Amino acid sequence: MKSIKIFQCENSIDGIFTAIYQAWSCGYGHANVKIEEACEKNNYSNIELFSEYILIHTDFEKAVKVSRAIKRKISEEVYEMICRVALSNYQGKGDLIYRFLILGFHIGSSIVDHLSNEVVNKIFKINRFVSNEVHHFLGFVRFSVHKNDILTSLIHPKNNVLSLIVPHFVDRLPREKFAIIDGNRNTCALHLPQKPWVLVDVVDSDSLDEYHKQDGFDEYEDLWKIFFDNIAIKERINPKLQRNNIPLRFRDDMVEFIPVSRNSILP
Amino acid sequence: MIIQEGMSIQRKLEILSDAAKYDVACTSSGVDRKGNQSGMGNSVACGICHTFSADGRCISLLKILFTNECIFDCKYCINRSSNDIVRASFTPNELCELTMEFYRRNYIEGLFLSSGIMISPNHTMELIFVALKMLREDFQFNGYIHCKAIPGADPALIEAIGWYADRMSINLELPTADSLKKLAPHKNRKNILKPMRQIQLRRESNLEYLGLNNSYGGSSYGSNKNILFDYSYSNGNSSGNSIISSKSNSNKDIGSNSNRNGNSDISSNSMILVDKGSGSNNILMEDNSYSRSPKSKFVPAGQSTQMIIGASAESDYHIMSVSEALYNNFDLKRVFYSAFVNVNQDSNLPSTHNGPPLLREHRLYQADWLIRFYGFKTRELLDEKNPNFNIIMDPKCNWALRHLELFPVEVNKADYYTLLRVPGIGVTGARRIIAARKSAVLDFKDLKALRIVLRRAVYFITFRGRMMYPIKVDEDFITRELLSTKEKLPYGIEEDITFKQLSLFDDINYGTGGIL
Ligand code: SF4
Repeated sequence: MKSIKIFQCENSIDGIFTAIYQAWSCGYGHANVKIEEACEKNNYSNIELFSEYILIHTDFEKAVKVSRAIKRKISEEVYEMICRVALSNYQGKGDLIYRFLILGFHIGSSIVDHLSNEVVNKIFKINRFVSNEVHHFLGFVRFSVHKNDILTSLIHPKNNVLSLIVPHFVDRLPREKFAIIDGNRNTCALHLPQKPWVLVDVVDSDSLDEYHKQDGFDEYEDLWKIFFDNIAIKERINPKLQRNNIPLRFRDDMVEFIPVSRNSILP
Repeated sequence: MIIQEGMSIQRKLEILSDAAKYDVACTSSGVDRKGNQSGMGNSVACGICHTFSADGRCISLLKILFTNECIFDCKYCINRSSNDIVRASFTPNELCELTMEFYRRNYIEGLFLSSGIMISPNHTMELIFVALKMLREDFQFNGYIHCKAIPGADPALIEAIGWYADRMSINLELPTADSLKKLAPHKNRKNILKPMRQIQLRRESNLEYLGLNNSYGGSSYGSNKNILFDYSYSNGNSSGNSIISSKSNSNKDIGSNSNRNGNSDISSNSMILVDKGSGSNNILMEDNSYSRSPKSKFVPAGQSTQMIIGASAESDYHIMSVSEALYNNFDLKRVFYSAFVNVNQDSNLPSTHNGPPLLREHRLYQADWLIRFYGFKTRELLDEKNPNFNIIMDPKCNWALRHLELFPVEVNKADYYTLLRVPGIGVTGARRIIAARKSAVLDFKDLKALRIVLRRAVYFITFRGRMMYPIKVDEDFITRELLSTKEKLPYGIEEDITFKQLSLFDDINYGTGGIL
């Protein structure tokens, strides 16, 4: 029995694509290779004794080749789907994408109709999960206004969705200086007017946190709370429905669910 | 009437959001628009919910009244002229600032502006026009705007506002002209349907002009279409209704509440309306730079309306027939149903002491959905003999049970609309089945993978000619089985169907076709 080669890569789209390129071209046979992305919560307890581990360094050229092949041989739609899966919090997504691509390159764009296939189905499911979270955050992101008119927002998404939500805000608020911080991954998206937005790692997360939370007096936060409380119809109060629509995990970062701050003008 | 001088913006917001909450429409959907570099905002066709209020409803727009002053006396409305409540009004500038500041903090998708009727329908619509124009042109707001049209306002004002709004709505309020007369004595059916038709025709001609019109091919309104748009709105200087004269006598009402530059806002903007007003036609059009751009769209997200459910005696059949007609003949995008809440404790209206009729409202939304997306006709769901929905079973199940002769259907062969008629299979489910069966012959286990719940569907489908269990297609049996698999109702409604409630409905004919 051949031992399994495990390609270990960075937890990013490019990292996973590089590993796929390497695994595919090593000629070892699809059945004998496996892709394993480094993930936030991986404690490597599942290290297999008889497997060979190969550490993959992310290589943008190789990654680009893979993206191009997906777009050309399968479809743009599938490419986007795979990117979302690669940004998900699903452990083992690298290998799942690999298995999916084996089928995809064989079948072509109609791969999306093969929903009764387990791999395809799983990809769809994760894609839906990520898309839903992205859609949620388009609405649930809250900006605080700081001195110099800088807007900041802190979010705690399950999936690595920051890069998927920022373009929406760039289009929407082209003249604003804003930062959206992913507090789970310590990354931050920055936008300045007339400039392309950038994604940066946050080195000193505490001070950024503090900056975001610093309670400058913002009249509009209070006005928003007034509106939020007033717009509910008392005869229809329905906390279960509310919780179903806006799960508790989002609420810590949303001003209307945070108790009134010290500086508030509200009693 | 109680008018407070120098009211703070907080207080105004409190009063005017409180007064707006019974309007149920709060979607921001129907139009895709990219941002532009000079302004703020874009719009996403599927709509975005920004939060959910304590009643569980989506908040997408700053839903607010321009003023809660009102010269009308609609029995069901908290703002009716006979109520002794605190009255407040925004200035256009206050409203613009509030919208912009909420929007940039990502609280909202845009503005939903409604209003009580201050002085006259025209006067109120002029103020709304000024506010929207200011928001679009001075504040460069490019997000979503839903604007209420006030029945009885001049067509020229509707025309002018339609170029700034994404969606407009005129509430039908009640399903019949009779009830309207009783409960909203100052409104009449004609004044509601006229602007609705005006917006519909204007949208059609605008789409045609933009070359986007392909769905109205057989439009029956013919060539007289354009005559309708030749509005004249002569804002005569002597007219007591117009904003001009209000400068002298009602500044107090509008302006003095403002602690900023409210007064000058209104008067300076109203000059736009006034200047060319002396006798010339189409004043509003000329000044409306939005409509000048060749690519402008008139009410691009279409119009919606709302009916109050349970304030008057109409049956579900009656209500659904009205909705169907609105969809077919007025090209409405949505009809909303609002369970009546007796806010005025008016003894002439039904009591809602036991809570508003939420289940009934839910059934109407289900049926509405069937009509819009499933190809159902009202007559298939209800008729004179069975004029109300079954309270213990959803309209589609109820229909299927009465048409067992059409079942079971073969999942591998049935077309899209046939699949849609199977209880338990929805729009997404039917699409998934059609996609999946292109590559494989489907079996029961595949449906699980397609995330289709079989609980209900099993009684109505076959796979390769076989049913999942040998079931005899018998109405009583299936009815019992379906009722034992509890329908998933929205939270808060499930407690509604208690024995007590059931007995309350005893005297109603539920339209079960004798299955109970
Ligand atoms: S017109 Fe009727 S429904 Fe509208 S605010 Fe006035 S009283 Fe209320």
